[in-house]
Amino acid sequence: MGSAIKSEFRKFFTTRLWWGMAIGIFVAGAVFAGFFGWALTSENGNTGGGPQLEGTATQVVNSVYTAGLGVGYLLLLTVGIMQIGSEYRHKTITATLLSTPKRVQAMLAKIIALLGIGGVYGLISLLGSVSVGAIVLTLRDIDPFPSTEVLRTLALSLLALGLWALIGLGVGILIPNQVAAILVGVGVAWIIEPLLSFGLAFVEWAAKIVPYFPSNATNSMVSGVTAQGQDVDFLPWWGGALVLGAYAVALSVFGTWRTSRQDIS
Amino acid sequence: MTAAPMTTGARIEVRDLTKTFGSFTAVDQLSFHVEPGRITGFLGPNGAGKTTTLRMLLGLIHPTSGSATIDGQNYRDLDHPSSVVGSALEATNFHPGRTGRDHLRVLAAAGGLRDSRVDELLELTGIPAAARKRAGEYSMGMRQRLGLAAALLGDPRVLILDEPANGLDPEGIRWLRGFLRHLSNEGKTILVSSHLLQEVEATVDDVVIIANGRMVKSGAMSDLHGSPSTIVRTSNPDQLAGALRVADVMSSPGTDGELIAETTDKRLVGDVALRAGLPIWELRDRKADLEALFFELTEGTNRNLGDGASPVESDAISGLEGANE
Ligand SMILES: Nc1ncnc2c1ncn2[C@@H]1O[C@H](COP(=O)(O)OP(=O)(O)O)[C@@H](O)[C@H]1O
Ligand SMILES: [Mg+2]
Repeated sequence: MGSAIKSEFRKFFTTRLWWGMAIGIFVAGAVFAGFFGWALTSENGNTGGGPQLEGTATQVVNSVYTAGLGVGYLLLLTVGIMQIGSEYRHKTITATLLSTPKRVQAMLAKIIALLGIGGVYGLISLLGSVSVGAIVLTLRDIDPFPSTEVLRTLALSLLALGLWALIGLGVGILIPNQVAAILVGVGVAWIIEPLLSFGLAFVEWAAKIVPYFPSNATNSMVSGVTAQGQDVDFLPWWGGALVLGAYAVALSVFGTWRTSRQDIS
Repeated sequence: MTAAPMTTGARIEVRDLTKTFGSFTAVDQLSFHVEPGRITGFLGPNGAGKTTTLRMLLGLIHPTSGSATIDGQNYRDLDHPSSVVGSALEATNFHPGRTGRDHLRVLAAAGGLRDSRVDELLELTGIPAAARKRAGEYSMGMRQRLGLAAALLGDPRVLILDEPANGLDPEGIRWLRGFLRHLSNEGKTILVSSHLLQEVEATVDDVVIIANGRMVKSGAMSDLHGSPSTIVRTSNPDQLAGALRVADVMSSPGTDGELIAETTDKRLVGDVALRAGLPIWELRDRKADLEALFFELTEGTNRNLGDGASPVESDAISGLEGANE
């Protein structure tokens, strides 16, 4: 088992994808933290006509440090898709299953490696966001670490990235064409889901399910500021973690089951 | 490999193996076995079901029925598969953005093998420098060598190669031949598939020939080549056949007025013909049973393929009767 996990890590770190992603996630963390650090602390930052944002000092800080998470989880979703999709595409799945023929074990190795990779990228992202965010907040005379709750948020953002990678793994197995899987996965998470959330928030019965969407669950996990004036009650941080975890478990169990039955030809 | 330890190969046993894709039967009640210390050619025209069979043997495709085992075990149940069975299935199984060496390092990690094995194998297959380039740039021959290196990483007892000669130049094929012979002398079990008889004929000890997913012929190469005989052409084959019978040489009519005499003694055939007063137009060895059989299969006629149990019956291969196991 340990050797299969090691092999998955090597697979990931021996192509150029990983450092391209690393740069992307670092830059996203830094840039978004800088921007939100400035915007959320401006007295007149919300005069642009957008919804009024409200939150405690801790929520503001949480939002700054996890501002790049939206880009981060899309990247990890892509990483998860590619960890299996590129195996289908380049037919390396054959070599993988020849060296680890017990398929549940092979998939478990991918799952564990992806959680690890999510954590690594999370750290890279935090490196960017916490350094830049803390500087901006300090310049604004705001305590960059108002409570220990911030640490919980930082830790949960690592977990969120790992879970999104597992969602990607499931999507990559559900849609074996890698390019299609990335388009569908990112399209749903980035465009369709926010649109649905926005639209359904105005429908009384449907507003209840909006917090359970994966992106909204992710945002609850890191307990940032929320937009005012919406009739949506977002989940508590642990609720968000459970919901996102449920998506990840469901998709990776499905992926493992599907892979164990597949003919690899 | 310096002072290679004697490894004992394992026995491959395929029994009543069947695979259907929808209503199409790709492999049909196939049974054969492969012995240690020998090179076995797994032959059949394109689409015969070779790759499907090998993939079932390697646990990649689920058989519809039947079994394929290595020393009595399913591949999936092996605890350390890479040190029991090494295989190279298709020459395209590399990520184009990963170097050949890294590809092997990924596999070495999965097999729990030392990283130094990677460089040993690159040396052995003659690609240590090229393997530092990304695999997307590799030639077919290079891919084949890298695939072979991957198969041998765990110093396996059994080697399964699917069309390993594909894309190799004649020099590469010669190299492969020597390489496989060397491995087989170490006692390994080697199964090599090919759709070209000529590619493997000089390499293999045993053959298993399939067509349309079914067994056509299997056995030792020396047996299947047929009992050595002589082809003779003359003005009156019947009369020569009679004369030969008197000299205790059986014969049968071949194609195109040929007579096939069951002897290798060309001098005897010539003497008999002279005594009978018959001219000799042609006199040569006949060893082409297998080629004729294969030719027939690949020309797509496949007319006499009965069920797997009965040997193929046709003029061209009449010498094969009894050679089936
Ligand atoms: N996954 C599949 N689905 C449907 N048909 C298949 C599949 N794999 C192989 N076949 C068919 O099975 C037959 C045998 O294929 P294969 O085992 O690749 O033959 P060979 O390796 O001898 O050329 C071919 O007709 C091929 O088209
Ligand atoms: Mg084939």
